[in-house]
Amino acid sequence: MSEQEINFLEIVDLTKSFGSGDTRQEVLRGVSFSVAKGEFCVLLGPSGSGKSTLLNIIGGIDSADSGYISINGDKLKELGEKRLTQYRRRHLGYVFQQYNLISNLNVRENIEVGAYLSDAPLNTDELLHTLGLYEHRHKLPNQLSGGQQQRVSIGRAIVKNPDILLCDEPTGALDYTTSKEILKLIEEINRKYKNTVIMVTHNEAIKNMADHVIKLRDGRVRLNERNTHRISADEIEW
Amino acid sequence: MKGKTKNPLTKRIPRELIGDWRKYLVVGLFLILTIGFVSGMYVANESMLSALNSGAEKYKLEDGHFELDEKADPELLDAIASGEKADVRLNDADFRPVPVRLYENFYRDEEEDHNNDGVTDGSVRVYVKTADVNLACLMDGRFPESDDEIAIDRMHADNVGLKAGDTITVGKKEWKIVGLLAYVNYSTLHEKRTDVMFDALKFNVAMTTKEGFDSLQKPIHYAYAWQYKDSPEDETEEKKLADDFLKAVLTQTVTAENEFANYLPAYENPAVNFAAGDMGVDMAMGGVLLDILIVIIAFIFAVTISNTITKESRTIGTLRASGYTRGELIRHYLAMPVIVTLISEALGNLLGYTVFKNVVVSMYYNSYSLPAYETVWNASAFVKTTLIPLILMFIVNFFIIARKMRHTPLAFLRQDLKKEGRKKAIRLPKWKFFTRFRIRIIFQNVPNYLILFFGVLFVLILLAMAVGMPDTLDYYKENASDMMFADYQYILRSFEDEDGNVIVTSNDSAERFALTSLIRKSDAISEEVSVYGIEEGSSYVSIGGLSALQENEVYISGSFRDKYGVSVGDTILLDEKYESRQYEFRVAGFYERSQSIAVFMPIGQFRSVFGLAEDEFSGYLSDSEITDIEESSIATVITERKITKMCDQLDHSMGAYMRYFQILCILLSAVMIYLLTKIIIEKNENAISMTKILGYENSEIARLYLLSTTIVFAVCDAVGVFLGTLVMSAAWKAIMLSYSGWFAFMITPAGYAKMFLFVLIGYLIVLLFDFRRIKRIPLNEALKNAE
Repeated sequence: MSEQEINFLEIVDLTKSFGSGDTRQEVLRGVSFSVAKGEFCVLLGPSGSGKSTLLNIIGGIDSADSGYISINGDKLKELGEKRLTQYRRRHLGYVFQQYNLISNLNVRENIEVGAYLSDAPLNTDELLHTLGLYEHRHKLPNQLSGGQQQRVSIGRAIVKNPDILLCDEPTGALDYTTSKEILKLIEEINRKYKNTVIMVTHNEAIKNMADHVIKLRDGRVRLNERNTHRISADEIEW
Repeated sequence: MKGKTKNPLTKRIPRELIGDWRKYLVVGLFLILTIGFVSGMYVANESMLSALNSGAEKYKLEDGHFELDEKADPELLDAIASGEKADVRLNDADFRPVPVRLYENFYRDEEEDHNNDGVTDGSVRVYVKTADVNLACLMDGRFPESDDEIAIDRMHADNVGLKAGDTITVGKKEWKIVGLLAYVNYSTLHEKRTDVMFDALKFNVAMTTKEGFDSLQKPIHYAYAWQYKDSPEDETEEKKLADDFLKAVLTQTVTAENEFANYLPAYENPAVNFAAGDMGVDMAMGGVLLDILIVIIAFIFAVTISNTITKESRTIGTLRASGYTRGELIRHYLAMPVIVTLISEALGNLLGYTVFKNVVVSMYYNSYSLPAYETVWNASAFVKTTLIPLILMFIVNFFIIARKMRHTPLAFLRQDLKKEGRKKAIRLPKWKFFTRFRIRIIFQNVPNYLILFFGVLFVLILLAMAVGMPDTLDYYKENASDMMFADYQYILRSFEDEDGNVIVTSNDSAERFALTSLIRKSDAISEEVSVYGIEEGSSYVSIGGLSALQENEVYISGSFRDKYGVSVGDTILLDEKYESRQYEFRVAGFYERSQSIAVFMPIGQFRSVFGLAEDEFSGYLSDSEITDIEESSIATVITERKITKMCDQLDHSMGAYMRYFQILCILLSAVMIYLLTKIIIEKNENAISMTKILGYENSEIARLYLLSTTIVFAVCDAVGVFLGTLVMSAAWKAIMLSYSGWFAFMITPAGYAKMFLFVLIGYLIVLLFDFRRIKRIPLNEALKNAE
């Protein structure tokens, strides 16, 4: 792996605070780490540790007060709004705890919403098979279970074959079995399409399936380690 | 991997259309009918105007006409036709001779008895069949060929129920109607230039053969029509030509010892211009109404979309986070109003060019005596009914959607779309819980209620016209006698008979008065003002301070005051009609019992101001008919009928439409209220669902949500009645300024109640739908959307 690939995503001395005066709250206090290309990185931490804020800044939908993020050598803070949108369009896929699907588009069309953004999207039918949704492709979101809806949202994010897949608590609203299925799916996608995955979670067990674990607390990196004993999503328990 | 995917968001549009078909059907029908009607009006108007314009040449329309007391001899006619002034010593550097072609256009004003029952029904102006000037378009039958055949105006025939083949009594002689026609110089049946409104019920124009004309008894009016040898380029030049030609006619007539009776250039002739002007006003008003309606619908659309964006905020946040640009999403949400507008425009124009065009044409044929027309396809209709509505719809929606889309992806994801952060709750007094709840609902929906208010106000402005117009006409018809200071005003041709004896009457109630007409010039029109000289201690015009007036002081009629906003102490400037002399009067007070635009002064002052002889006067005021003055000495008699004829004509041509219009307004208000209250309920679906979960019953929820809207609506309705009337009164005044005469806009207390109730009826209809809508909101709605 080249130097550039090792430092594919670089986060350097990032700070972020909300409010002002007495109500000022520092959410990120000089966060620095890097993520290698194709890595499965998990951001762990309790509520309020700043992990979602960090993910939003990486995703270009929030900005840092100081410090910077560079992806493949490009610094995000130097990008204007239009280029930032283009950056998200070309390089990022987003999965949220809420599925945020479009209610009057069916499964296939919801995935095509993501495909539309790419000049070279993945084959939708093949992806539907990978997601286990092919038989449900004509259904509307309200005809699906929570897990199936989350699969659709993952499909929508991944279909444009992004460099980075950002997942914000993707299993937060799901039961144990469904959560494991989703994790397996993300793992499979990571392996198959070689995307860099950054997943925010407060579930400690998930760190075992990651290549790289970052632990945040009170806006600082408390742990930054490569996982030498990575296990499959199938094997993790909580 | 495969090629570029089509934007799947576009697939939402037909589904949204089908999913909320009731809303789009209502909006669509509303747009289709409005656009259809306005489009039909534009097409009909343009076609009619084109027929009028081409008819002017085809049917040899005059450039004007003048009347002489005696038939002019050939020398006088040649002199006038040369356009030269007789008295060249007059210093008038601007004068240029205006050579014209002159044509005899003699007529007689005869009595008409259209049902042959021996009772005079009105008057008919009879012309001889000619091929020279002011020809008629034959609408039905044929032209008269023998001395007992007559062709009459098509519109008058329609109005009084006559047709070709019927008989009619004109000048005490029975005639066979062989044809119905439309004279090019009578597109509306204005009897005189000063008539505020045409009178197709009591006034008629007709054509007979030369022999038929000679068999009539009433005096001949020696009218001469002229056409300029060099047609003027524009209206300014036409006015200059008319002014110069007037000087030629005046001087030549006086030199030839003939009497000049009337001078009327075509551009000042309401019988020629009224229809075209009125159609122009209709088009302008139709265009403005359409624009206002489109803006209201556009706002309704925009508010609906704005609420949808709020509802879909997280999805939008996700799409923005995934790389959808703001522009792509604005275009997506803009598509629906634009598509609905385009479809409505296509269907509306289709109906406009077919069904509605015929409706409007028949409306115009019911009011105007127009020649046959051919449908003209015109670009302005396309621009006004297609391009402008589309642009308005686009701009309003773009502005609101773009504003809503300014938020960051994160704000959308967090559903944090409030502009000024989190609002603090307004503290409310310790009222009952339900009252406070309702007030909160009202505060929460202020933007929606504002649109509701403007929508209701718009309907009420229309309703003010629909209710106020008949009220106004009824008022003037019922009070016509109060607005006449004498039942009869006899205007004499001269105060002396042919032997030089003063014309007298033995009628005890008769009282002499003097009258002249001056002009009040303004940018809009030259208004004819009747200036009265009144006997001291007059029993008809009782003005207390009349005898105490200073030399240049006058009283003016209430109509004069209301129309031009004149106050006591103001100075009014009045001009002679045919001379460049101006009079300046100071207003000392007002006289209310006169409907006309009139000025009153003592008869002595009148004689001095206008240079009349010591005992000279213009006629008699009387409360009973004067029978001992020879008919040939009487120029005209003004009776109550002249006051009420405008009301009758307006009532006849517009009365029925106003009733339809009232129904249309109820429907319009129901449609708008339906759309707006739907938005309010949809916006509160979550809260309504939650109150259901908490155990509130449908009736309680209705009391909370529907009563709030009902209270706001009632206030909007009441305020709207007041403001709508004010706006309509102002619009009415502006319209009246471009016409001669004055009618104040009136609405009776019952009219106000009607306005309030009509809109309320619309609301009550919608209320039933709203209650059903609340009942159908599922309990899980709140849970489904909970975080």
